[in-house]
Amino acid sequence: MEKRLIKKDALAGIPKKIRENFTVFAPVKVEDNVVFKELEPQEEPLVGHYQNTKNAPKGVFFPRTEVMMRYVRTPKGVQLKGIEMAAADAVLFGVRPCDARSFALLDLLFDQEKYKDPYYIAKREKATVVTLACARVPYRTCFCTSVEGGPLDGKGSDVLITDLGTDFLVEFLTPKGEKLGSYFEGTPASEEAEKKKEEVKQKAEGEIVSHIPAREIKPILDVNFDHPFWDTIHKKCLACGTCTYLCPTCHCFDISDEMKYDDGRRLRNWDSCMYPLFTKETSGHNPRPTQKERWRQRTMHKFKYYVDNFNAIACVGCGRCVMYCPVNIDIRKIVEDISKLQ
Amino acid sequence: MENPYVPYPVEVIKIVTEVDTKDIKTFRLAFVNKEDEEKFKYLPGQFAELSLFGKGESPIGIASSPTNPGYVEFTVQKAGVVTTALHEMEEGTIMGIRGPLGNSWPLEYLEGKNVVVVGGGFAFTTLRSLTQYMIHEDNRKKYGKITVIYGARTPGLLIYKDELAAWSKRDDLELHVTVDKGDENWKGKEGFVPTVCKEVAPSADNAVAVICGPPIMIRFTLPVFFELGFSKENIYTSLEMRMKCGIGKCGRCNVGSKYVCKDGPVFSLAELDRLTPEY
Repeated sequence: MEKRLIKKDALAGIPKKIRENFTVFAPVKVEDNVVFKELEPQEEPLVGHYQNTKNAPKGVFFPRTEVMMRYVRTPKGVQLKGIEMAAADAVLFGVRPCDARSFALLDLLFDQEKYKDPYYIAKREKATVVTLACARVPYRTCFCTSVEGGPLDGKGSDVLITDLGTDFLVEFLTPKGEKLGSYFEGTPASEEAEKKKEEVKQKAEGEIVSHIPAREIKPILDVNFDHPFWDTIHKKCLACGTCTYLCPTCHCFDISDEMKYDDGRRLRNWDSCMYPLFTKETSGHNPRPTQKERWRQRTMHKFKYYVDNFNAIACVGCGRCVMYCPVNIDIRKIVEDISKLQ
Repeated sequence: MENPYVPYPVEVIKIVTEVDTKDIKTFRLAFVNKEDEEKFKYLPGQFAELSLFGKGESPIGIASSPTNPGYVEFTVQKAGVVTTALHEMEEGTIMGIRGPLGNSWPLEYLEGKNVVVVGGGFAFTTLRSLTQYMIHEDNRKKYGKITVIYGARTPGLLIYKDELAAWSKRDDLELHVTVDKGDENWKGKEGFVPTVCKEVAPSADNAVAVICGPPIMIRFTLPVFFELGFSKENIYTSLEMRMKCGIGKCGRCNVGSKYVCKDGPVFSLAELDRLTPEY
């Protein structure tokens, strides 16, 4: 694994240079928000001068809306016209370590041995993830170290860039990452840089103020499906779904059909376990009839079911759901409260 | 890479209206491409997504048995957008199916055992598949005594009437058909399925019960089987949930950490006991 030091002022030009040969996705300021999006020719990517994007970059591999196939009406019925699976050679530049980690978590689901999701995999395989480590921890709501991540964690990344103060340390973590080597002109990193990185890591981890017992609650969740605690979370929930749409690991989706005249398409859209219709059956029966069951599902899915199925917590500690919940439901408090259940 | 979201094109070759209320029909589908039939190798108890471009998809249990090659059958009640559109279809139409999905009835486990099949209403579909499979000449010797108990609310609501008549003539299958309330032409049994199960009282010795029906029937039938000595390991049923992908990704049909679409739909009661009661 190669490591290089690059000059601090060199970083800003790199995504634009990469853009000459790849589709680049990066944090861009749009109105008041920093969003992770495809970099357009006239746009300036933010490198280093942002905290984290409002949206999670998972949308590059698992878009909010995506056409799965197109069909056309014929005299014998509506028939398949084509399968849509566009995937460009892409570079995701300036992903934060928590969000990069979410790719590794989503791989577990979409790229399983038996059931592979070709739409996700096509895009994921053709993309290289360049992560910008959090040398300064962005928010008080960050809790990546509680969910097996960290501000300098390289999981899910192909290239990891860390601000050492004087220079940037660039680590090429995978063969895919190494292929981008020519874009990062610099000098080989010495052991000195390695030591410096360790110091940055210690300092950054020390800056994290939110800590939750995420692993510890698993055995408690195993036996407390019917605990009265589940009556305490949901009452103020508006069922807006913001938490699930901003979440880097939420992956639930709906498949729907649209037809105009003789042409139609089948789409997949993000869906949310927070919505009553999510599980409502044609008969009218709903196995999760109130917001209580839906909140239990969301909590269980992240901290128990995903652990049961993949031995991984489906939360990266980015804190988006905490920051943007309109009624201040806080997953950190929920986990904390669960850890105290008798 | 295989794309599990793309349905195989199939032609509707036969439509049978099963009940006098006309809202339950059996659709016989034949694969447009012969090689797709090879890929669609299924077992009784599995289901498929019936795919109508422009309308959507609906997960439905497979009602035919792989021992009858050349076609696949689904018995569908007209209820929502997709099934209503399906009911309006005519023979000759091309539609799609995606699958086979899910696990199957525990065919290997049933071998060498007596099998009690209990069905209610139109939830008899994958049980019909299982029964057809077991009584097929290649398979019949693998199973012990086969008892089928099937009930509907009225004689007109019984599905697969011709087949039931044929089964009643066989000496390698004990068939009990009952209706909640008969009419002037009904000469068969009257009574609810749990009551008939009690009367028939199948022995629990080396036996497995496979039960499918409306929740109310299941609720009253299970105690009868417990009383007869059937253990939870030897009672199987099939679950239904709202589904989209059918392959454990879209996240809505889970019961605890199991997905009904890929880990089910068939579970033993012992397995269900270990899951959360959220279905």
